[in-house]
Amino acid sequence: MNTLHTEEMTLNMGPQHPSTHGVLRFVVRADGEIMREAVPDVGYLHRSIEKIAEKVGYHGFMPYTDRVDYVCAMFTNQGWASACEKLAGIEVPKRGEYCRVIAAEFNRLASHLLSVGTMAMDIGAMTPFTHALREREMINDLIEELCGARLTFNYMRIGGVAFDLPPGWREKALAYLDHFEPIFDEYNALISYNKIYIERLANVGVISAADAINYNLVGPNLRACGIKWDIRKDVPYSVYRDFDFDVPVGEGRWGKLGDAMDRYMVRIRELAESARILRQALTRIPSGPVLAKVPRNFKPPAGECQVRIESARGDMGWYVVSDGTAYPWRVHVRTGSFAAMGIMQKLSRGLMIADLVTIIASLDVIAPEIDR
Amino acid sequence: MTAIGSYFRNIKDAVTTIFEGMAVTASHFVRRPYTVQYPDRTPMRVQDTLPIRYRGILEVDLEICTGCLACERACPIDCIVMVAEKDPATRAITISQFDIDIAKCMFCGLCSEPCPTGSIHHTTEFEGADFSLESLIKRFVKEPIPAYKAKKGPETDPRIAPILDRGMHFLDEWAQPGGEKSGSTT
Repeated sequence: MNTLHTEEMTLNMGPQHPSTHGVLRFVVRADGEIMREAVPDVGYLHRSIEKIAEKVGYHGFMPYTDRVDYVCAMFTNQGWASACEKLAGIEVPKRGEYCRVIAAEFNRLASHLLSVGTMAMDIGAMTPFTHALREREMINDLIEELCGARLTFNYMRIGGVAFDLPPGWREKALAYLDHFEPIFDEYNALISYNKIYIERLANVGVISAADAINYNLVGPNLRACGIKWDIRKDVPYSVYRDFDFDVPVGEGRWGKLGDAMDRYMVRIRELAESARILRQALTRIPSGPVLAKVPRNFKPPAGECQVRIESARGDMGWYVVSDGTAYPWRVHVRTGSFAAMGIMQKLSRGLMIADLVTIIASLDVIAPEIDR
Repeated sequence: MTAIGSYFRNIKDAVTTIFEGMAVTASHFVRRPYTVQYPDRTPMRVQDTLPIRYRGILEVDLEICTGCLACERACPIDCIVMVAEKDPATRAITISQFDIDIAKCMFCGLCSEPCPTGSIHHTTEFEGADFSLESLIKRFVKEPIPAYKAKKGPETDPRIAPILDRGMHFLDEWAQPGGEKSGSTT
């Protein structure tokens, strides 16, 4: 008697798949609906941004940093600016630092809103996406008034920020926070506590704490595995020492610790924490200059430095080597999304193909940040 | 028995949480819509509602351009081409070319930051679609013109004074290095 042989299937997911949020390709080896493994194929969005830095100089590279991670460009701005300041030993005025924190935390709100919104959309719930994007749109309006752009901000400069807060902006921002905090509960009622949604996410893509550290996960993905590690708290930079805020970690309330639902809820709770930081920063902002004196022909002394920033996607490292000329000798960016791609192959084993979408969304991968 | 119990509890939870979510959606029937229809249903031109710092298509007021080439040097992608010659005898600067490739421009604002008079600035105009790349190159100089020379004291020429005022208004938005400026008006 002949046995009926089943065959393993090789599927391409991407590079243009709606759930990959950008140009990202997975080579999926599947046995029916069950994945043997999904191998991420990165590099479709490589734009040589690190090389460009060696050609355009220190001031000119600032708009390019917006393109490293366009969903939270304030953090890439801040990373580059602080790296240059550390190289040249420039001290940023107190008000400049506060402006940076305010802009960055608003950007974190926008980035996390986009993340939780698109996550719900990838799972199949269309309405929460429009709710999250509506809130993000209001933040974009605020940021537009602050720095003139909605996505590629180019707000920060070496030595401070390009613009002071416009007149009346502080009141507007506080009014927005008053509006945002109730909306936040509404959003939770809409989708976060929905039983079907929880069942869809709980126990999917479980990452143990040991794996998270071994695969070098950062940011909300790491914290969802129960590890309390936040650069803002543990290696404080800028003026984050002044603020009182908590670092939300995964609890495993709905399933195993470190599943997709934990990653989602950590982001939701970080929204509240960011709003808390913003409220403190907006009420305490000191007066004074926002930009330190930095020569237009900026030549830091020869040397190298590494700066860490807690971006919306986690620990972002900026490594700059200067040889004393007007152009950096080498720039390297270490981003959270690239680290998250590493664990994809391990996570996907034995899951359904539909769960791959959940994992990508829950790790909050931004395609341009993977490749730079 | 517990299996059946949890089965029905799950159904009950699913139905109640769906209705909680639906209540939020239903509440939007009585709220004012947040969306507007662009471009023909907006109450006023979108360009007029944008803040002054908005970085739209670049514009140059040649009347107050000093020909210092600071904008050309600041541009990281070289989308500004400018030719300004200095007469060795009279020390007067003549601008013979000032082109900006809007198709190449990335609207970063680095050119308008070092401008001493605010001559080059971003407008709130963003509708720049065109059929050819060539027509997106803005050529500001038709024939060589003398560059603006900053005077001591206020500008007296009634034709240039309002333009300079507007330029300085754009310039005031930028943070001055180390300056107090609007810093204390929190």
